[in-house]
Amino acid sequence: MSGMHSITLGHYLPGNSLLHRFDPRAKLLSLLIIITALFLVNTFNGMLFFVFFLLVAFFSTNLPWRYFLRGLKPVLYIVFFTLVIHVLFTKGGQVFWRFGMLTIEERGVYLGLFMTLRLILLVIATLLVTLTTTPIAFADGIEFLLRPLRFLKVPGHEIAMMMTIALRFIPTLMEESDKIRKAQMARGADFESGNVFRRAHSLVPLLVPLFVSAFRRADDLAVAMESRCYHGGENRTKMRQQQITALDYLGVLTACGIAVAIVFTGV
Amino acid sequence: MLIETRGLSHTYMPGTPFQVEALKRVTMSISAGEFVGIIGETGSGKSTLVQHFNGLLKPTGGEVLFEGNNIWTGEMNLRGLRSRVALLFQFPEHQLFEETVFADVSFGPRNLGLGGRELDERVRFGLEAMGLDFSAFKDRSPFQLSGGEKRRVAMAGILAMRPQVVILDEPTAGMDPRGRRQFMEQVSRLHREERLTVILVTHNMEEVARLAERLFVFYHGEMLLQGRPADVFGADSLIKDTGLEIPPLSELLQRLRRQGKGVRTDIFTVNEAAQEVLQLYRKECV
Ligand SMILES: Nc1ncnc2c1ncn2[C@@H]1O[C@H](COP(=O)(O)OP(=O)(O)OP(=O)(O)O)[C@@H](O)[C@H]1O
Ligand SMILES: [Mg+2]
Repeated sequence: MSGMHSITLGHYLPGNSLLHRFDPRAKLLSLLIIITALFLVNTFNGMLFFVFFLLVAFFSTNLPWRYFLRGLKPVLYIVFFTLVIHVLFTKGGQVFWRFGMLTIEERGVYLGLFMTLRLILLVIATLLVTLTTTPIAFADGIEFLLRPLRFLKVPGHEIAMMMTIALRFIPTLMEESDKIRKAQMARGADFESGNVFRRAHSLVPLLVPLFVSAFRRADDLAVAMESRCYHGGENRTKMRQQQITALDYLGVLTACGIAVAIVFTGV
Repeated sequence: MLIETRGLSHTYMPGTPFQVEALKRVTMSISAGEFVGIIGETGSGKSTLVQHFNGLLKPTGGEVLFEGNNIWTGEMNLRGLRSRVALLFQFPEHQLFEETVFADVSFGPRNLGLGGRELDERVRFGLEAMGLDFSAFKDRSPFQLSGGEKRRVAMAGILAMRPQVVILDEPTAGMDPRGRRQFMEQVSRLHREERLTVILVTHNMEEVARLAERLFVFYHGEMLLQGRPADVFGADSLIKDTGLEIPPLSELLQRLRRQGKGVRTDIFTVNEAAQEVLQLYRKECV
């Protein structure tokens, strides 16, 4: 139960901060710029600037920090794994510790910490965007960013629509799987004990009804869309017309400025 | 007492901005062999409550007891408990997954370790208790049945575990009136003949007033009222404050009573009410 709802990645929290009001297109563009910069920076000082910048951004949003930290939980394993791999296998510099074949060396510790920090900052930046943007606005932003690729025949609108639908149905399907799991547990199903094969087998009573219901929902949705004469992106207008304001330009410029400054002073 | 709760509270997603206090300090008890109804407007916590009775949800406050033992202290085998306290979820037809009706109905008993003749008999009992012919249905695919038949098969799967208690969460929602009546008649017969304890969650006031011996009324996660249907739906009851309506028959009899006519108001079947009104007619108009 609690496991189901601890996945907050992309779970929008309503609010009225500057980041909440930031135009989704501008917000996504800024996120792209910041992420690129995060990949380019390769000094600790540069990273510290990012830490400072993201902290300021975080506090400006008034998001509850507990909730925010929970969103970081799913990536902690990857972060930990990265750290361990670097510390154990990257060689160079002073040797801190030796045990048979294994050594821990200066360069490994340095790179490990650096990569870890980079990963965490990447997730924080992304969370700051997904937690302050409604899924619909998010998809609108994606569609906008994919527009230049139209000439390569990338179906921007369709991709955005698929994303919206997928995002919309994640909570529904989680609820559904929770319900089916409980219904089968009420019939004595055991999802927890036994070896890998037994456990995989015990998932059948969960997965079959889940797929049946997902297909039923998909079918219903397709009928509903068709009966409203939905057709793809060409000439389609939007209910919520987003107006880019001076503030949004300023936001993107700030992101650019910070990125350029950090990358060029840090390198 | 068979099932008891003491100060039971449940909060969904505590510590997040989405936290919901679904149950607040509920203390209630249900005896073996009873037929009780649980009513309350939508979102009042009924489904949350009944999922505590067989340990599908863990209380965030207070305790749940089965035959006097706290079900969460570790000595209780939760899977064993679930075979004795069976729960039929809302829209149970969505849980069907096997290729044949037989395989699906036998899922519960198989999880109890049964096989062979015993298994056959359990499945037969379940299907026939729900008015489905064993040999006609056992080899059909559950996905090709009608909605009402699917629901009976799901119920048969619960009954095949031979539970002491069945909890039914809105079992007849979305069924046609005749199917609904038949379904409830079969449940009611199991209650009378097999001394099955029934806990019925429903929005159908007429049905629950007619069938249940005792009612619990929920409102915003609290248990506001409990008692016999006649008291809960009685003239001076608080029931209207909880967003529920009293059954039309009760409304009629109570109005007559308010006009000074000597009619009984603890009647919930059309036949008895007709008798009562006829008597009144003979007394006053002939
Ligand atoms: N899995 C869940 N996660 C979070 N909140 C939930 C969950 N299930 C129920 N709730 C909330 O708890 C409250 C009680 O819900 P519950 O399902 O127990 O009501 P109910 O009385 O069964 O309603 P209905 O008559 O509509 O079935 C509601 O406010 C609901 O939104
Ligand atoms: Mg419910």
